Amino acid sequence: MAGATIWKGYIHFGDTDVPVKLHTAVKEERIQFHLLHRRDQVRLRQQMVCAYEKQPVPAEQQSKGFEVEDGKYVIVDPAELEQTAPESSRMIEIHEFVKTGQIDSIFLDRLYYLEPDIQDIQGKGYNALVKALKELDVVGICTWIMRKRFYFGALQARGKMLRLNTLRYADEVISVGSLELQDVPLSEKELKIGSELIEKMAAPFEPQKFENEHQKKLQEMIEKKARGEKITVLVPRRLKPTESDQLLQALEASLKKAA
Amino acid sequence: MAVQGIWSGTISFSLVAIPVRLVKAIEPGRISFRLLHSKEYSPLARRMFCPEEETMVPSDEIIRGYEIVPDKYILMTDEELESVSPERSRTIEIVEFIDMKEVDPIYYDHPYYLVPSKGGEKAYRLLVEVMRRTNKAGLAKFVLAEREYLVAVTSRDGALALTTLHYSEEILPDEDLLPKKGKIAAEEQSRIKKSIEHMIEDFDPGKYANERRKKLMDLLAMKAKEKAPVEGPVVEEDEGEGPADLVAALEESMRKVKPR
Repeated sequence: MAGATIWKGYIHFGDTDVPVKLHTAVKEERIQFHLLHRRDQVRLRQQMVCAYEKQPVPAEQQSKGFEVEDGKYVIVDPAELEQTAPESSRMIEIHEFVKTGQIDSIFLDRLYYLEPDIQDIQGKGYNALVKALKELDVVGICTWIMRKRFYFGALQARGKMLRLNTLRYADEVISVGSLELQDVPLSEKELKIGSELIEKMAAPFEPQKFENEHQKKLQEMIEKKARGEKITVLVPRRLKPTESDQLLQALEASLKKAA
Repeated sequence: MAVQGIWSGTISFSLVAIPVRLVKAIEPGRISFRLLHSKEYSPLARRMFCPEEETMVPSDEIIRGYEIVPDKYILMTDEELESVSPERSRTIEIVEFIDMKEVDPIYYDHPYYLVPSKGGEKAYRLLVEVMRRTNKAGLAKFVLAEREYLVAVTSRDGALALTTLHYSEEILPDEDLLPKKGKIAAEEQSRIKKSIEHMIEDFDPGKYANERRKKLMDLLAMKAKEKAPVEGPVVEEDEGEGPADLVAALEESMRKVKPR
């Protein structure tokens, strides 16, 4: 079963309106730990502390300030912040369509399934939109307001369905330039053997092959400890880095191994 | 500029091992407000607090616990946690290379970059370049703090990007949402198609800005003009608010306990 409906709205562009319901597409389940005080195992909670008085500060004595320069703040009250919240709306407005391959995957954030809403009884608009997006190989770039927040996203067709992928804003993506990577010259031979090795190790993407084994092992360790059994502590393995002057040999040996 | 690493270890494929650090690729564009003490405008810091003793608890007195029955915990040290999958705690081992076009975007979770540590620059550059040439991405699993991640390592503008992927068991089925089969009127179909064709452009994410942020900046500019900013007392050291969530707190405490 897909997740529950989290929001209802309608896709809008030109003269077209398609009512849809948003559903979550991913459900993460993980083992939850709590932070405890080591000596008495009391569960800790987070507390805001005054850096000057070193005392806990209750919520009613907290203010929000925007730091304009070192130690100087513009104080903003909750009512003022509320004013900047967007007006609620049900429209997912498509501003333009772009070719499917044009969106760098680094922009892709959360994905939602779209279900045709009841108002679109035969799913006519929905089905026609799926078909058109597929035939033209495009996605719709759209914005909408959900739960008092602005969203930016891409409307996609997949199979018989529409999906909405929220996108990150351009200024949130850190550029590779800021990493200040060095350019290191490589020989054509190293590149050729490296490429061959990759081709040898190529496989189709089969996500069902990969299970979260760690989660199961962690569960087992917790159960073992609950039974009072002793845990052997293992030290994580650190691989010895391949030296630059050994790179070609390592690639050649890898290729031989893969053959 | 040294980029702050989230994790350090090795990325490997076959017999090649490259020392790397994992760094952020996304900087959420939130306008960050500081929480202040209303009384004298001193900044607040986030601390772990023991409700029983009513004291702040330093990180070396904190331990993880799994709640087995209400209020009863199984304690787990960092070392024990690393023992769960020791071979994956410090190594991102690429087991195969795939074509990213085969990966449904539904699997994408969060992107990071990998940067080479000292001595790894050449092998790093090689992996970037050969993945670009072959248009392939490396698939690997590795463990960070309490979680094991399935990740795709790709070549992006001369760097290695690492994207965590969801496991297939986390993807919810969509069969129950499928649209009813309906005959689409040819007229309607061609109208929609035409209307889309008129709106095809090149993707330019820079055109879209977070409007909430713009409104907030306007509000702040207006307020700063109306009234001089307040000034807080001088605090010995600016400790910051600290990590916003527990996972971040755990990771930070792990780093503090065991500098590597």
